[in-house]
Amino acid sequence: MHMFQFDTLSMVFSALIFLGAVPNLFYSHGYLPHIKRKAHYQLHYFTFILSMIGVVVAANALMFLLFWELMSLTSWQLILTEAKEKKTVDAARFYFIMTHFGFIFLLLFFLIVSDGDLDMGFAAMHTVVVKFAYPTLLFFFLILGFLSKAGAVPLHVWLPYAHPEAPSPVSALMSGVMLKVAIYGMFRFLFDVLYPWPLEWGIIILVIGALSSLVGVLYALSEHDIKALLANHSIENIGIILMGFGMGMIFESMHLRILSSFAFIAALFHTFNHMSFKSLLFMGAGSVLHQTHTKNIEKYGGLIKAMPVTALTFLLASISISALPPTNGFLSEWMIFQSMLSSSHLDDMSLKLAIPFAIFALAMTGGLAIACFVKAYGITFLGLHRSSNAKHAHEVNGMMRAGMLMMAAVVISLMLFTPFYIAWFDKALVQLGRLSVYAHIFPDGILHMHSAGMHGGVVSPLILLAALLGTTGLMMFAYKALRVKERIHRTWGCGYHTSAKTQYSATGFAGPIRRFFNWLYKPDEHFVKETVAGHESKFSTSHYEVHVTPLFEKTLYRSVSKAANTISYWVYRLAHFEQTRYAAMIFNLMLLVLFSYRIFAHTFSWATFVLEGIVMIISIKVLIIGEKR
Amino acid sequence: MIAYIFTIVFLLAVAPLLLSFIKMVKMVLLFKKPVSIFQGYRNFAKLMQKETIISEEASSMTRYAPFLVLSPLLVTMFFLPPVVHGAFYVSFVDAFTITGLISLSTFFLMLLGLDSASAFGGMGSSREAFIAALVEPAMVLTVFSVSMMAGDLGVGQAGVNLAAHFPKEHMASFLFAGISFYILLLAENGRIPIDNPETHLELTMVHEAMILDLTGVYLALVESASSVKFIIFASLFVSLFVPFGLAYAAPAALFVFIVKLFAVALSVAFLEVSTAKLRLFKVPNLLGVAIVFAFLSLITFYVLGA
Repeated sequence: MHMFQFDTLSMVFSALIFLGAVPNLFYSHGYLPHIKRKAHYQLHYFTFILSMIGVVVAANALMFLLFWELMSLTSWQLILTEAKEKKTVDAARFYFIMTHFGFIFLLLFFLIVSDGDLDMGFAAMHTVVVKFAYPTLLFFFLILGFLSKAGAVPLHVWLPYAHPEAPSPVSALMSGVMLKVAIYGMFRFLFDVLYPWPLEWGIIILVIGALSSLVGVLYALSEHDIKALLANHSIENIGIILMGFGMGMIFESMHLRILSSFAFIAALFHTFNHMSFKSLLFMGAGSVLHQTHTKNIEKYGGLIKAMPVTALTFLLASISISALPPTNGFLSEWMIFQSMLSSSHLDDMSLKLAIPFAIFALAMTGGLAIACFVKAYGITFLGLHRSSNAKHAHEVNGMMRAGMLMMAAVVISLMLFTPFYIAWFDKALVQLGRLSVYAHIFPDGILHMHSAGMHGGVVSPLILLAALLGTTGLMMFAYKALRVKERIHRTWGCGYHTSAKTQYSATGFAGPIRRFFNWLYKPDEHFVKETVAGHESKFSTSHYEVHVTPLFEKTLYRSVSKAANTISYWVYRLAHFEQTRYAAMIFNLMLLVLFSYRIFAHTFSWATFVLEGIVMIISIKVLIIGEKR
Repeated sequence: MIAYIFTIVFLLAVAPLLLSFIKMVKMVLLFKKPVSIFQGYRNFAKLMQKETIISEEASSMTRYAPFLVLSPLLVTMFFLPPVVHGAFYVSFVDAFTITGLISLSTFFLMLLGLDSASAFGGMGSSREAFIAALVEPAMVLTVFSVSMMAGDLGVGQAGVNLAAHFPKEHMASFLFAGISFYILLLAENGRIPIDNPETHLELTMVHEAMILDLTGVYLALVESASSVKFIIFASLFVSLFVPFGLAYAAPAALFVFIVKLFAVALSVAFLEVSTAKLRLFKVPNLLGVAIVFAFLSLITFYVLGA
């Protein structure tokens, strides 16, 4: 009985965890003086990393569930490291409930597929699944379990609350690495256990992915809390990964196996890329938070002057997450685009017509992500400081800088050594019984990256990088050689005196987009102004604030909690009856059972149903509810 | 190879001419005394000699961003479809890379707008971000549709394929994609009705607002970036949607190409004189039209037989 396995997929994800955790260790060490409960933090931090590795190398259901639960519990405790505010405690509770909501479904899944023997290896579960009559039920258990952890729509609402409340190194680990462990679960159990896939499963994943990416980026745009903004972007990127994954499943169901492998590699590559740039972004945000003691983006500004290393690494990650060439984020998003464009190979007309909508969603996401990161970078690092907190900021300590620089190196390595990473992902997929597509992606050397589809696109990351650096360098050299006279002086601000208050704020920056998506956001606006002598347009002070509550939270979550409240109120009422009424309840239950027996015995008729219904209602009213006092 | 380098240099040299030409035509149509068609070169020469004034509030971003605004566009010039028959071209680069490079340039332009802490820069960046976000999906879908008709995702190869074999059987989807791309050309280059490049009125400006604090060489760089961007879009439009003339001998083909570029510029000038600038919140309607046409183009392509 093996407890652990080390096949290529497990190793790929272990490497992901290592790449995410090692720079984080340095950063965390630099961050440590900031934390009061050091022992508590250190214990849970290291257990958290080890448990994530445990999940990806576990070889049977018991070990998997054990480490999965350990991972959830340690991260829950880590959110509570600095539980000073009620907000933090609430976020942690929300996280705890959601993660166990997912856990229940995973448990159900494993109880069914392991046929009672939780020591069973994953490959053996496949034989149980083949005999099981309702594989789609298992599929739903699986995606409810994993996607509630990964934060896909509609199980994403906890994520922008929970991730930002943790200390910054932990936010980086949770968003960068822990979400990917859920993606590992998708790979492992859909490939090894639940197989083959009907077409509908792939479509479900694709739709969830498209929705998550749009929802994530739209709520990120309306966010003022920098860490919540990044957490919303995690939802978006999980969506992008799922879009690649869904395309892979669709192609597989349609027997286009090369395209399927290509799409899965795209999803895996984006998983790595998101790990790298999201960890880096959270570290950068953590450094800014460390210096300014606020998460409110409106209080930042001009930090590039005081924190050059943070600013530079944050810029690199911003370009990468916005999927701009020649970064790694662009390459993986390019691959996902290419696999969606290969949908013209499908011979199903409705799919052919539907997939352009997913392409639309991904392209829209890309455009909005650019807007969002111009906002995040520009408001945080450029311009003038908007508060005295930002004025007194300076560069973070050496360990934190080292952590950020190492993570930047990971980003750059993913950009430069794309072929090697892809060869490795290819190997992992081959071991899971897929076709190898490395030769299709890099048919002539490692310079040009091809799409696996017929007449697909080609991109050459290294040439692009060299060309961009070359032209920029040449122009800057020419500028230096020209010896242009430079003067630092006040520029013309249309006659206004430029000050911190004349700048655009983050709320203002996202204004046009927020107004365009007003039907989705339904924002709560607070606008107070003190007018001077009754003039509408002259005022001494004014204050404008806008908050956006996610639609899903408003509709889905709050109504569920309301329903739970109502039900528990009635249960409470029932529990406080006198003893005689319990007898009446039992009598009514017996009536119900007797009456409903007819339905199962197929002697159902509407007349008796109505009659019996009336009898039931009367006896309930008379015997149980009684008279109102 | 020589023809390849020559056409790139030639197009770069022609780039300021086109924008001046639009301005000139507009002034003629408005019964004003027209500017010289060489005004673009004069401005460039003048800006190159000026000293550079950097805003007191600006950071190192202002020193790097103008170069990073121009360089992705210069790189893009190398990936355009060939102008003359048989010339070397970079056949492999696909439209995502090109749109990505253009977005990279816009990204730094928007950061530049936020750097000098003036309200105008932020205003311009915010509006540009809004427009660019809506342009992106239309662009990707249009390009997808055209590349389906050309049978290749590589832009250079698509241009050659379309010139060799005009997709008569897909005329409907071809036209839809063409309309969509023309709207995108207007939007990406900040022409009326999306943005007015000549205004400096705070209510209306988008592109100009972002570069209000620049002067000297930096302004020259950003101004050249906008003329290079126009020529990129114009030549993409010409090569993909008016794909004839490539078969002629080299000088004639080049001449035809230039004539087509000027025809596009002329149409933009006519449009600018005859329409008013849209309110910012009406812009999504126009871009929505582009998105819908892109979808229609794809759907007609699939439904009428691939």
